[in-house]
Amino acid sequence: MIGPGFPELLAAAQSEDEQAFAVLWRELQPAVLRYFQVVAAQAAEDLAADTWVSVIGGLGRFRGGERAFRAWVFTVARHRAIDWRRQAARRPTDSVPAERLSERPAPDDPIAQVLEGQSTRAALALVAELPPDQAEVVALRVLGGLEVAEVARIVSKRPGTVRVLAHRGLRRLAQRVEAAGLLGGVTR
Amino acid sequence: MTDDDAFGPDMHPPLGFPEAALPAEDQDILEQLLEGRLDPASAPPGYGGLARLVAAATAPATPEELADEHLVMAEFRAAMRSHPPTLVPRRTAVPRKVFTMKAAAAALVAVLSLGGVAAAATGLLPDQASPVAEQATGTTGADAAAHGLGKAATADLGGSANAGSAAGQGRASAVGPDASGTAQAGLCRAWQAGQGADHGSRMDSVAFQALVEAAGGADNIAAYCEDVAAGSGADAHRQSQASPPSGSAPPTSVTPPSSGPPADPGPPASTGPGGHGPGTPPTTTG
Repeated sequence: MIGPGFPELLAAAQSEDEQAFAVLWRELQPAVLRYFQVVAAQAAEDLAADTWVSVIGGLGRFRGGERAFRAWVFTVARHRAIDWRRQAARRPTDSVPAERLSERPAPDDPIAQVLEGQSTRAALALVAELPPDQAEVVALRVLGGLEVAEVARIVSKRPGTVRVLAHRGLRRLAQRVEAAGLLGGVTR
Repeated sequence: MTDDDAFGPDMHPPLGFPEAALPAEDQDILEQLLEGRLDPASAPPGYGGLARLVAAATAPATPEELADEHLVMAEFRAAMRSHPPTLVPRRTAVPRKVFTMKAAAAALVAVLSLGGVAAAATGLLPDQASPVAEQATGTTGADAAAHGLGKAATADLGGSANAGSAAGQGRASAVGPDASGTAQAGLCRAWQAGQGADHGSRMDSVAFQALVEAAGGADNIAAYCEDVAAGSGADAHRQSQASPPSGSAPPTSVTPPSSGPPADPGPPASTGPGGHGPGTPPTTTG
């Protein structure tokens, strides 16, 4: 979070101050990119760039604080992901429908990478293996730093549903990690 | 497409312990993890691996993740040059740099595939859009237009990335009907026809994002369309753009949870600032 300096920074960015916008971008870009690595891994970089084009276009009309800004950026991001999925579903050359991507096993063993190497990409790959709605909610909460109510608005679900999905997702991840039999040595 | 359609229902019940059986303290731990407040080193037994996973997922940015900065900044400069936020009236502000050749190609696809409807919908001749658009909605044309245009727009996501957001103006005027113009009646009819049914996908489509933009947010569409039906039309709408409520409640329909009618499953925030020209009286009227 940028904190108390956010309003000034936003105002500067809205007044065409490139450096100010760069600060906003650096603050959020990693989270946006990681969100896409969970929900649309094949196109993450492109979708993140598309998201920023949209954000730039709407920046001048944005009003709100930092939390609202984050929520807005992720709202835009989610729409890019939905567009992409829709497009992927139409693409005949796509041998694996986007909806099923999460069921594909990761090429390597991401659990070992996470536990041993603290690999961000591996961790995201594990989250991406969750059922899509769980993966998205976990991504928005953990990566986006968004609260339950904010996520609920973004995904158009009830806050209670969002909470349950996030908990299920985390528990599934925990079981996945434990089932790998690596947990004992690492956590105890 | 509803959200459930988009991301799939949870077909997989949790393995093992059901939600109700999870003790409150475990739920607390999960919340701490979700909020990044749990240090792996002090995670309770059974949560160490998960805490490490979360820590890895939220590790500090890598240089690779920030590698695109120069590209994004170039986009920023270009957009600001062609679309100074405070000087250009909203309706005429088209971020031309954002409206790239790819977007132009998308618009062309729309024109080629949809003929007159798309031509009218390109917004090049906004005042002439209405007869065609309305005629189109008389049949299922508007839907076809919406979907077709949506396809055209998503075929290029570089330029039309703006879908639903403000650069969206470039996009909306390029490939989507100008919903605040005379095409509004047709869009409204199509929207009303879709209420309660395939609402989600309608809200996502390019055409309906134009409507969202014209209405000043998805939450306002019903009221907006009533106005349209009552014949008050675009003029009333433009007045409403300057109304204080939308000014005080920023484009971020995301922000105030209380402002969202529970009945509206649409992604109002999607249009955010973009679609929310109406929410920015300071820049448009001041």
